[in-house]
Amino acid sequence: MSILDWFVLIITLLAVITYGIYKSKSEKTLDGYFKSSNSMSWFLILLSIMGTQASAITFLSAPGQAYTDGMRFVQYYFGLPLAMVVLCVTFIPIYHKLKVYTAYEFLEQRFDLKTRALASVLFLIQRALSTGISIYAPSIILSSLLGWNIYYTNLVMGGFLIIYTVSGGTKAVTYTQMQQLLIVFIGMFLAGYMVVHMLPPNVSFYDALHVAGKMGKLNVIETKIDVTDSHWWKDKYNIWSGLIGGFFLALSYFGTDQSQVGRYLTAKNTKESRIGLLMNGLVKVPMQFLILMVGSLVFVFYMFYQSPVFFNQKEVEKVLATDYKTSFINLQAKNDSLNNIKQIQTHQLVDAIHQKNDIQIRNTQASLKEIDKQTKVIRADAVAVMKKADKTADTNDTNYIFLYFVVQNLPRGLIGLLIAMIFLAAWGSIAAALNSLASTTVIDLYKRMWVKEQTETHYFKASRWFTFGWGLFCIATAMFASKLGSLIEAVNVLGSLFYGTILGIFLVAFYMKKVGGKAVFYAAVTTEVFVIAIYIADVISFLWLNVIGCLLVMGFAFVLQKLLQNKKAPY
Amino acid sequence: MQEEKLSTSKKWRNVYVLVIGTLVLLIIFFYFFTKQFA
Repeated sequence: MSILDWFVLIITLLAVITYGIYKSKSEKTLDGYFKSSNSMSWFLILLSIMGTQASAITFLSAPGQAYTDGMRFVQYYFGLPLAMVVLCVTFIPIYHKLKVYTAYEFLEQRFDLKTRALASVLFLIQRALSTGISIYAPSIILSSLLGWNIYYTNLVMGGFLIIYTVSGGTKAVTYTQMQQLLIVFIGMFLAGYMVVHMLPPNVSFYDALHVAGKMGKLNVIETKIDVTDSHWWKDKYNIWSGLIGGFFLALSYFGTDQSQVGRYLTAKNTKESRIGLLMNGLVKVPMQFLILMVGSLVFVFYMFYQSPVFFNQKEVEKVLATDYKTSFINLQAKNDSLNNIKQIQTHQLVDAIHQKNDIQIRNTQASLKEIDKQTKVIRADAVAVMKKADKTADTNDTNYIFLYFVVQNLPRGLIGLLIAMIFLAAWGSIAAALNSLASTTVIDLYKRMWVKEQTETHYFKASRWFTFGWGLFCIATAMFASKLGSLIEAVNVLGSLFYGTILGIFLVAFYMKKVGGKAVFYAAVTTEVFVIAIYIADVISFLWLNVIGCLLVMGFAFVLQKLLQNKKAPY
Repeated sequence: MQEEKLSTSKKWRNVYVLVIGTLVLLIIFFYFFTKQFA
């Protein structure tokens, strides 16, 4: 990185930290620390919800996803607006009416203390581990591409935000998220603009869309389910899994995950919470569409220019230092010569598009798809060579594609801004997670069960210490993550393992008025065992685990309640 | 009071219909977008 990039990166990060500390001065009570004394408008709620959901990996992974698999990932968000409506009708009025600090507080009022404690502990486990991974995942990408030390990168990624999160609580988190999102949007817009700007002079934005579409990278809607394929139910991104699976995932994430619930509980009233959530439902789908489009445009960019055989250069360097160097260089040479043919053909495709020559378009499209197939074979061979050279090699480079493009092609200054964008996107979601971990620990466990009769100042100070403690825990998880290897992926789907069960408990609470605490508690424990067994058996896409978990809790709770009633009847 | 509550809930119902309607329009747009460039 150039001096200008370092300057932009450091100044941007320092500005956000200073702003966070400035905004954190006034908070001295538990209500102010966790709920901003209910002072937030819908606009701040909207930005805070978006900033919490969009982590660094969202902006790194989504363009890479579009590069490899096209834009169909956007369907994953189709269930979100529907979930927002259900939340506004059911969850928000109850949370506000009961004036709860956490979502789990409501469960004690509806059921009993053990159900509240169970949901809190499930949340703490999955949120703490996944926050550790949210620190590690972007850090490993940055350290690989820029040659930074992974431990120091982890410290910056997860450390600096602790300063303002500890001192200012929810208010500092929300206000900094506003700044962070602004910079993230500017960064993504500039990246998208630059991709189009760097295309050959005769290729317009419209032409680029045509090329991407012809190569199957603008496949936003996929309605087909190929039932003849024995793995059809494992397909993650089609309109049906997006609408149904996405709906349940969004409902559990926004309705029962304290990192999100804590954001909209800071609103002035139910109206502000509702508008914030509904606007999120409207904005999120087009936003994700645009981020994915940047990835499709990066794909088009590499149709005109040389692309590497593998985007994670650290892994490439590793294989080049082994006996497999020659085999890998041969594959790189094959890839380069295919790239040369691809470039000529892509220009021919653009000419055919300009001339509206349909036959020429179809012919070039077919041969380009054939080249794409051959490129994929070469990439698979390269991965096989890397695996032979080092069994522990990270052979998935999807998350590296976008940042590789940024570092290799964008002008000085802009690289610094886009790397700052990655840090800030990470900070926004990590800060909200730390805040929610602390609020759940203090409100649902510490104040409720461990240290009951203490002053407001005591709980306020304890909240700061717990925020700090969780921050250290998440950084420690990130530091050890490099040793977890393939377990990292398991931790990533951890949310899906628990979300369904937690959502099931909440839906029983809202809609099954006759079911009591005992039935729902044992139903939740049994379901969790089932969900983990289904996940281990690997028979279905993880997106469906939420639906299964939720429905099982409701079903088991209903049956158990009937059994308990029958047992009680003779008395 | 009761009347005011009813009109508020009706207003929210219209907002929810608007949100779901926008989602449907977006899906239709995406469908034609996919077809247009394929």
